[in-house]
Amino acid sequence: MKKRFPVLSLVVLTMIVVLCLSFGPVMTKDPLFMDLAHCNEAPGKEFLFGTDSMGRDIFSMIWYGGRISLTIGFLATLLSVALAVLVGSISGCAPARADGVLMRLTDLILSVPGLLLTVFLQAVFGRASVYSLSVVIGLTGWMAMAKVVRTEVMQLKNADYVLAARCLGGGFFHVLFRHLAPNFFPSLLFMAVMNVRNAIVAESTLSFLGLGLPVEAVSWGSMLSLSENALLSRAWWMLLIPGAFLSGTLLCLTNLGNYMRGSTNKRHSNLGSRK
Amino acid sequence: MKKLYIVTILHNVGKFVLSVFLLSVLVFTVSRLAPGDPLYAFYGERVEKMSAAQQEEARERLGLHEPLVTQYGRWLRGAVRGDFGISYQYKRDVKEVIAARIGNTLLLGGLGFGLTFVLALFLGLFCAWREDRAADRIICAIGTVTSCIPEFWLSLLLLLVFAVWLGWLPGSGAYSVGKEGDAADRAVHLVLPLAVVVLGHLWYYAFQVRNRLLEEVRADYVLLARMKGLGGRQVLYRHCLRGAMPSYLSMMAVALPHILGGTYVVETVFSYPGIGTLAYESARYQDYNLLMVVSLLTGTLVIFCNLLAGSIGGRIDPRMRRHGGADGWEVKSR
Repeated sequence: MKKRFPVLSLVVLTMIVVLCLSFGPVMTKDPLFMDLAHCNEAPGKEFLFGTDSMGRDIFSMIWYGGRISLTIGFLATLLSVALAVLVGSISGCAPARADGVLMRLTDLILSVPGLLLTVFLQAVFGRASVYSLSVVIGLTGWMAMAKVVRTEVMQLKNADYVLAARCLGGGFFHVLFRHLAPNFFPSLLFMAVMNVRNAIVAESTLSFLGLGLPVEAVSWGSMLSLSENALLSRAWWMLLIPGAFLSGTLLCLTNLGNYMRGSTNKRHSNLGSRK
Repeated sequence: MKKLYIVTILHNVGKFVLSVFLLSVLVFTVSRLAPGDPLYAFYGERVEKMSAAQQEEARERLGLHEPLVTQYGRWLRGAVRGDFGISYQYKRDVKEVIAARIGNTLLLGGLGFGLTFVLALFLGLFCAWREDRAADRIICAIGTVTSCIPEFWLSLLLLLVFAVWLGWLPGSGAYSVGKEGDAADRAVHLVLPLAVVVLGHLWYYAFQVRNRLLEEVRADYVLLARMKGLGGRQVLYRHCLRGAMPSYLSMMAVALPHILGGTYVVETVFSYPGIGTLAYESARYQDYNLLMVVSLLTGTLVIFCNLLAGSIGGRIDPRMRRHGGADGWEVKSR
């Protein structure tokens, strides 16, 4: 099966990203203004997606909050990738014993459930802000990528051109960025895209639980933290609309990520069940 | 040979103990660095009414003043004897608080794991059998979509539809008030959380089974078996499945703690009284002793299952002895 480029996903994702980044002109209301005369209003002409139980306009909040969700996803991944490349390549080049220690530590951190680890670290940072939350999520998401980088570096480090570069006096970081990084970049890219996805999920889950961003800081997750009110008042728009944007973004990212992973199974099946 | 086996076991036990020890140091340090004041968790609003001297005295009594190493040393000495301290929030022994809840989590997580284990295998087999045909493509498409929906939103969706709109199923708790012993009542309360647990994990594993089988199907022995005249279905069930089984088992050993311990979010949304809601509450109210034990418990389970996965592979599949463990599988990070 030849993989087709996920055009639809790319278009939808681009649209969401562009609309969120240029949120100013898109918004019809002030997303932070609590219009107490219009609480829990169903979608209509004035409030396109309705209002939440604090009287805020959901249509405007989607774009305003989306910007924060996407920013956190992006920043956290940036940090995770940097850490993964650093730890992975050091581990891959280091002597066996140091490599063993590093990998054992990585496994150790991997063994604490991700969500708990994030909650823990956030507690150290105190009150959550967009940046502290990005750092916390970034710090908890690098382990799987580091393992991939390590494997790739171990395979590449004995190649002749790496040896040549070292003989010519190339330092660790020179060899890493000029010779090794271009080789493991493709496999890292797939994981990075998936990491953006995981980071967005982590942010929204934490904010939803009330352990991440506070309700006043609008993000897709914190919009859903009013879900209890929404369920009681049967305000489906408060649940369905932010969640649909969240899941839609995640789906687009997944499709793009799966495409980048490269196609497997190019050969024909020997089972002979086809034709 | 026999001696070697004992050495391997000792080696694994050593690794296990060391990992758990490091984990406890990690968790302890992080939890004590947190800025929140555990005094509040213990005394609640009363802290504000206390005089400074009384606050000092209370801190002294709880041992919150001593250096971290001393505090850790004391905690460890207690922990070895099975004394994990008291939960600041519940004002009871941590063990009691956990013991009261762990059954509910084991039931939810255990059933979730069992169902995922069986369904993923069947779904993967079916998709591999129908590779690239309409049924496979549709299932793959639906699977990708479900795997993208965050667990908490899926819970909210099901709550909205089945508890609020249709009113068929209860939306919170593990049993109705006064019906603690009623099995049918408990089962009804389990349906929605269980559905989320299974749906949240199912496709990830089913897809891996499918892909693993598709690799297997391209091996040369399949061609040979077909030439001998075996039917495609027979080859798939008898030969390919058998080839994929060892790595499936070790993958599921790694998955066990993920599914068992990954019910936090689901439990919290459904206010299901288990370890997950406990973890959430203790994080919110800075109940360090409780949070530590909950994290340690899940972490220990993960470490144990990872070691188990490595040895299962080696036991039943000679091919894996050289490559070691479940390295062929992707590591699920969250």
